[in-house]
Amino acid sequence: MRGKDVRLDNVTIRFGDTTAVHPTDLAIHAGEFFSILGPSGCGKTTLLRTISGFIEPTEGRVLIGGEDMAGKGPNERPTALIFQNLALFPLMSVAENVAFGLEARGVAKAERLKRAEELLALVALGGFGGKKPADLSGGQRQRVAIARALAVEPSVLLLDEPLSALDLKLRQHMRAELRAIQRRVGITFIYITHDQGEALAMSDRVAVMSRGRVEQVTTAETLYADPATPFVATFVGEQNVLPGTVASVADGVARIDTPLGPITGRAKATLAPGAAALVMVRPERVALGTGRENTVTARLAARHLEGPSVNLEFEHDGRRLVVTVPNGPELRDLPSEMTLSFGRDDALVYAEGPLAHG
Amino acid sequence: MASLARAYGRLLAFLFAAITLLWILVLVLVPLGAMIDQALWWRESKGDVSLAIDRLYNDIALAQLDRNSEKDPAKQAALDQQIAQKQAEATALEAQEKNPPKTYGFANFTRMSGLHFYIFVRTILYALMVTLLALVVCYPVAYVVALASGPRKAIVLTVALIIPYAINELLRVYAWLMILDYRGVINGVLGWLGFLDLDNRGWIPFLESPSAVFVAMIYTYVLFMVFPMVNTLETLDRNQIEAARDLGAGTLRIHRRIIIPHAKPGIAVGCIMTFMLSAGSYSVPAIMTRGQGGDWFSQLVYRQFYESNNWNMGSAYAVSLLVVCTAFILIMMRLFGVGLRDIAK
Amino acid sequence: MSTSTESRGAQFLLNAYVALFCLYLFLPLGVMSAAAFNSFDYPSVTQWRGFTLKWFVALAHDQRILEGLRNSVLVALGVIAVSIPAGLAGALILTRLGQRSGTMLYSVLVSPVLTPGIILGISSLIFWREFGVPGGLFVAVMAQSSFIASYAMLLFLARLQRQDRTLEEAALDLGASHTMVFRRITLPFLAPTAFTAAVVAFLQSFENYNTTVFAIGGEWTLVTEIASRLRFGLSPVINVVGVIFVVLTVVAAVTYVLLKGRRAVAH
Repeated sequence: MRGKDVRLDNVTIRFGDTTAVHPTDLAIHAGEFFSILGPSGCGKTTLLRTISGFIEPTEGRVLIGGEDMAGKGPNERPTALIFQNLALFPLMSVAENVAFGLEARGVAKAERLKRAEELLALVALGGFGGKKPADLSGGQRQRVAIARALAVEPSVLLLDEPLSALDLKLRQHMRAELRAIQRRVGITFIYITHDQGEALAMSDRVAVMSRGRVEQVTTAETLYADPATPFVATFVGEQNVLPGTVASVADGVARIDTPLGPITGRAKATLAPGAAALVMVRPERVALGTGRENTVTARLAARHLEGPSVNLEFEHDGRRLVVTVPNGPELRDLPSEMTLSFGRDDALVYAEGPLAHG
Repeated sequence: MASLARAYGRLLAFLFAAITLLWILVLVLVPLGAMIDQALWWRESKGDVSLAIDRLYNDIALAQLDRNSEKDPAKQAALDQQIAQKQAEATALEAQEKNPPKTYGFANFTRMSGLHFYIFVRTILYALMVTLLALVVCYPVAYVVALASGPRKAIVLTVALIIPYAINELLRVYAWLMILDYRGVINGVLGWLGFLDLDNRGWIPFLESPSAVFVAMIYTYVLFMVFPMVNTLETLDRNQIEAARDLGAGTLRIHRRIIIPHAKPGIAVGCIMTFMLSAGSYSVPAIMTRGQGGDWFSQLVYRQFYESNNWNMGSAYAVSLLVVCTAFILIMMRLFGVGLRDIAK
Repeated sequence: MSTSTESRGAQFLLNAYVALFCLYLFLPLGVMSAAAFNSFDYPSVTQWRGFTLKWFVALAHDQRILEGLRNSVLVALGVIAVSIPAGLAGALILTRLGQRSGTMLYSVLVSPVLTPGIILGISSLIFWREFGVPGGLFVAVMAQSSFIASYAMLLFLARLQRQDRTLEEAALDLGASHTMVFRRITLPFLAPTAFTAAVVAFLQSFENYNTTVFAIGGEWTLVTEIASRLRFGLSPVINVVGVIFVVLTVVAAVTYVLLKGRRAVAH
């Protein structure tokens, strides 16, 4: 099996009057684990179904391995899709399920059942071929779906939130397993999810989508550390959002007047003095005490124990500021009024724009 | 069509569409059209033409006789000419008799005799009465089966209703024939009690009155009212009844405000099926009246086809029946605010 | 158990009413069945001349009735052959059509169910005469199929509503052709319904009188033969047919309930 690259060239998808996907360009490299992350209704499933061939784009082209897919149905594309509900054929045995794609390609029965047995062994389900899907556990069904998709030796495997039906522990186990399988077979994985934990844990690169547009495409690390838009900044991880007005901008460093006082941070957009802006600071980047470029004095309003860490909720002039610090005995007797500080590089400044949560 | 091709592929989509189209055309629409067409034309009565032909041949025979006894050649020639002329006339009429020209119009409908029209109206009124009576009789039954019994009792009752429903309608009619016959169960019991003298034909002639048809018809079609109502009532959340009672509603109000509104689609379907079946029933009147009066409209239709051999009249009668049934369905749908999709459930 | 909202008096009245209704349903059938065992020549229960089984023997030698039975089975098989594919195709098309065009087609396809049976018989009779086919078994098959196909379609539609579309998509995505998807996924899913629809079609056809009597011409089925016996020359032989119908129906209904009950327990 060899992975192929997938390119979306100005792909636009409209259903009647509503635009599900605005003009989108996307280049997914051969052999990478690529995730499309976004809230429900953002158009990610539509995009996936367009790549697999169930939806024809209204405009633009889909290219797989450099080949234009226009006019090719899902059964003519080098892709295999793993459905959210897995869509295992309930009336067929597990082996027949896995062998189905080979049956469609006219492979002789003995040959395809042998191949099915090999694939079941690959996903650690050797000897389960005679069972019906209904007899398997959630995780086992998951692996059958993967084996069935791999049986047709696709160049691109498309996964539509396949872990969402599993419980937390199994989900975390399957993440590692999926990643391992991808490494082993070396084909391109395109993974759709609304769960940022999944996307960040497994992917080489992640695309974040919102309202039918791709907001940012980058590695998991960059996505967290250097989000490109206010939406991405607030969708991925926790964020303190401080609205303010631009006081001055110089050399990529902006000075913003906020209810917590003036803050300097890295400008993530072209900002003009006097314009409305948003300052974002991750809770774990704020330290108790002074010592960094930006300092704020605030009243400790509440504390939420998370286990290894504690979220301290501060308030200043009606504004909330959350600080995440490692749990420890020194947190027992905190004064009610404290000074907090964070670095200039920890504060990211955006032009006003839509956020992920309300 | 594009969405079909997408769903099933071009070949299968075409196949399914073709089969469906054949069904619509060959089994439903074109036969219906053929019937309506048949109802809209007629050929001039053959009787007059045949009579005219007979008369011409009579004249020819007479003229032939005169011609043979006539000695005068001039008169012979005149008679010959007369014969030839009449022969030509007869030939033309014979051609017309064999294939009289079609005339289109509504005459088949307007020509319905007073008696037949009376029977038509009476059939519809009886069918309406059957429907209404079935509704009244069945509502409590449906209520008990669907809402006022535990699961076990509901199953037993359902079976008790399904068995007579599943038995052929002719046999159900026959059962009533045996009850209402001259020496049937009722007359027999009355005779045994000394009220009637059966040996001297002193029985009550139930079968000679239209009410025999009426009684048997209710028996035959009453269950078509029960099942649609049971089906809709079963979907009513019993908590709604409890809640209404809890809020102080009396039994009547609960039925009027909660149960009957919920049962509407079922009532509409039940009424439509019962009316349609009884207005169009041939089996019940054919067996119950046994040719002794009390005609039902369907019997007139049958006789037009299989006794008078007047298919045009028969079709016109059938179309009239169809129009009434269609109107009834539309009225019920409007009255109960239900769509065709609710009905076919 | 019962969520009675009525007072005990009302409950009693209701139960008495339902009991009376059941009596009304079953008593006539009982009368008809009993007469099958009366040795009197005319079907009767009031003129009892002693128990006999001779009418059963007479039925076994009644050529017209046996031939009618054979014709009924032939017609019913013909109806299955026509109405199952038609109903299936109609349902498959309807499930994929949009709301507007779907409703139009739906109205046309269910209209035969709401049409009086004699109309269906008459229109088929007239239609097929145009092609020189007189009334008979073939026209009866066509006339009955016109509405039995609608019933089959409704059964298929109900099943298709519960279908998981992603199964077909998954099969397509794995490279199956549309034909293979239909054969391996859709048809197996619909197979139980096809069986049910065939049984329903068989029974509907077998029992049908009002449509058949117009379409059958000079031929006859079991049911049309019974009808003409009922009009001309009553004989207890017909009661024997009735007894057989009643027994078969009761056995079928009880079996069905027992099976259903066991399934309910199993779940």
